[in-house]
Amino acid sequence: MENLLKIVGVNKTYLQGQIEVHALRNIELQISEGEFVALVGPSGSGKTTLLNIIGGIDSVDQGSVILNGVDMTTMSESALSDFRLYQLGFVFQAYNLVPVLSALENVELVMVLQGRTATERRQRAEHYLQLVGLGDLMNRRPAALSGGQQQRVAVARALAAGPRLVLADEPTANLDSENAGALLDIMHRLSREEKTTFIFSTHDPRVMQRAERIITLRDGMITDDQRVLTAT
Amino acid sequence: MNTRHNHLPFSMLLALAWRNLWRNRRRTLLTLISISLGFALAVMFIGIGDGSHNSMIRNAIKLGDGHLVVQPNGYMQSPANYKFIADGQQINAQLEQLKIPASIQPRVTLQVLASTASNSVGAALEGIVSSDDPRVELLRGKLLQGQWFESSDKRGVAIGEGMARKLKVSVGSKLVLMAGTQQGDTQAQLGRVRAVFKSGIEELDNFLVFADVSFAQQFLIGEGADANAYPVTKFAIFLQNPKDVQFWKNRIDMTLQASQTVVLDWQTMMPQLLQFVMLDDAGNYVFLILIMTMLVFGIVNTVLMSVLERTREFGLLRALGLKKHQLMLLVLCETLLLSLLALLFGWVLGGGVHLWLSIHGLDLSSMMKSGTEIMGTFMDPIIYTELSWNRVWQITMVVFIATMSSGIYPAIKTARVTPVQALRT
Repeated sequence: MENLLKIVGVNKTYLQGQIEVHALRNIELQISEGEFVALVGPSGSGKTTLLNIIGGIDSVDQGSVILNGVDMTTMSESALSDFRLYQLGFVFQAYNLVPVLSALENVELVMVLQGRTATERRQRAEHYLQLVGLGDLMNRRPAALSGGQQQRVAVARALAAGPRLVLADEPTANLDSENAGALLDIMHRLSREEKTTFIFSTHDPRVMQRAERIITLRDGMITDDQRVLTAT
Repeated sequence: MNTRHNHLPFSMLLALAWRNLWRNRRRTLLTLISISLGFALAVMFIGIGDGSHNSMIRNAIKLGDGHLVVQPNGYMQSPANYKFIADGQQINAQLEQLKIPASIQPRVTLQVLASTASNSVGAALEGIVSSDDPRVELLRGKLLQGQWFESSDKRGVAIGEGMARKLKVSVGSKLVLMAGTQQGDTQAQLGRVRAVFKSGIEELDNFLVFADVSFAQQFLIGEGADANAYPVTKFAIFLQNPKDVQFWKNRIDMTLQASQTVVLDWQTMMPQLLQFVMLDDAGNYVFLILIMTMLVFGIVNTVLMSVLERTREFGLLRALGLKKHQLMLLVLCETLLLSLLALLFGWVLGGGVHLWLSIHGLDLSSMMKSGTEIMGTFMDPIIYTELSWNRVWQITMVVFIATMSSGIYPAIKTARVTPVQALRT
């Protein structure tokens, strides 16, 4: 498989009050196209920081993050915005959606920014909402959807924009086991069908079971990286 | 390297802004009501201010020498009985040739001594053509005694209540008017009081003596004027359209260039009144600024609260690819819509009150019992609000700019949101 993401010598330090916190220490990582990767580790191990850095919404102190052959650490803020728009999809833990837009409009939003035509947007948005099982609820606003349904809309939005890589930060943290399982199934299926790379952080053993590769972080360092056979 | 850029169509921006505005319906409605009420108040007060100023100006023009006056050079700086337009006939003919849509009134204005057997007082004799002089029209309704003299009445005079009291005269009494000539002689004319008026303006009631122009012209003849040339002190011009003052001033100036006269507009003749109006206007503007300041803080509070509540959402939008300036535009669009709605409601409310008051008037007579004299003129006790298009535009722009500027700080605050910080909240 072709190499999609390469992280070289990434260090990141935060100041938490007066205390310097080493969030990431000398991270070296390569991820290939189409992989379904879980970042695991206890709270404060650096999972979210690493995802934010890969997503270009946080900066590095040292090192480089090369996505699809482009070093994101050398980009201006504006160029990073454009890069995120076309190359990356995000699914956050909660509050993923714009409350004043319907599910359909939320999925269309990124495609509007991409400048796609109204017809193409509508077709893709409807297609992905149907894929995540929300064909009947696409005109509902987030407040009228359950937590699991909202996360599925976020997955549909992330995929409809046609990114190379989808980053999901604890996407199942607020879901019950039934909804978490369903969301994971959808993400895994779409990863295979769409050949989209997924990296998600989690402490949830149910999520880990479905990952094809599990990278363990502890105190900002990668302590384990293993490929596993998935349950599905 | 990706060189494609994002596009956020204005229609999408407006749609998002509109929906965001109504997320907290009650807060938006309360803000709208407060802006609209403030705006409506401003419209009403400025309408009342303009209405009362215009009423004062109209009355001052009627009681004074019209919108424009043609008088001898230097008369305004030092008025004297010997300064007059000797050939009034010719000037009148020239003015008539211009076909000015106006009433042109020949007048003789003299400084005299009014005497009776009881007393003597300094007075200003105003010789007028009483049949169609706007001043007569105004004072006819304010007579305490008698009837206004007719044009054919060559001895009749009308005086104010103050002068009548000082001279101890009433209707039918004799009044001797005396004036010195440039040569040092004294000349006198005998008049008979036909009417006593009370305008409420001290200057008029204590000092003015009205008589027919031919009566007053006798004094000019005594100064050496040719009776056949129709000598007068001035021609007062009352335009049908007050907006044409400058146009007709220029035309008359050009026409009368060769004569020893000067054309003055009412602003030049009554600088104190103009200053008073400007000062009062400034007061109104201070009031408007105060209202706007309160409104701006109200809007800043509303928009800022709505922005702070959405920090996480802005972080999400930034993570998805929206740029700083697009978030700023979104917040400014929300302020724009709020501002436009407030202007609409404000105009409906303020404009409605203004329309009603412009037709029915605001009756302040109970508050104005002590008199309505201001700056040598008077204010009608019923004020009809007035707003020129210029004023409508001014008020609209002031409110629009004030409300829009109140969106700047929240917009800047929004642009400062970094996705990583916002998503952590």
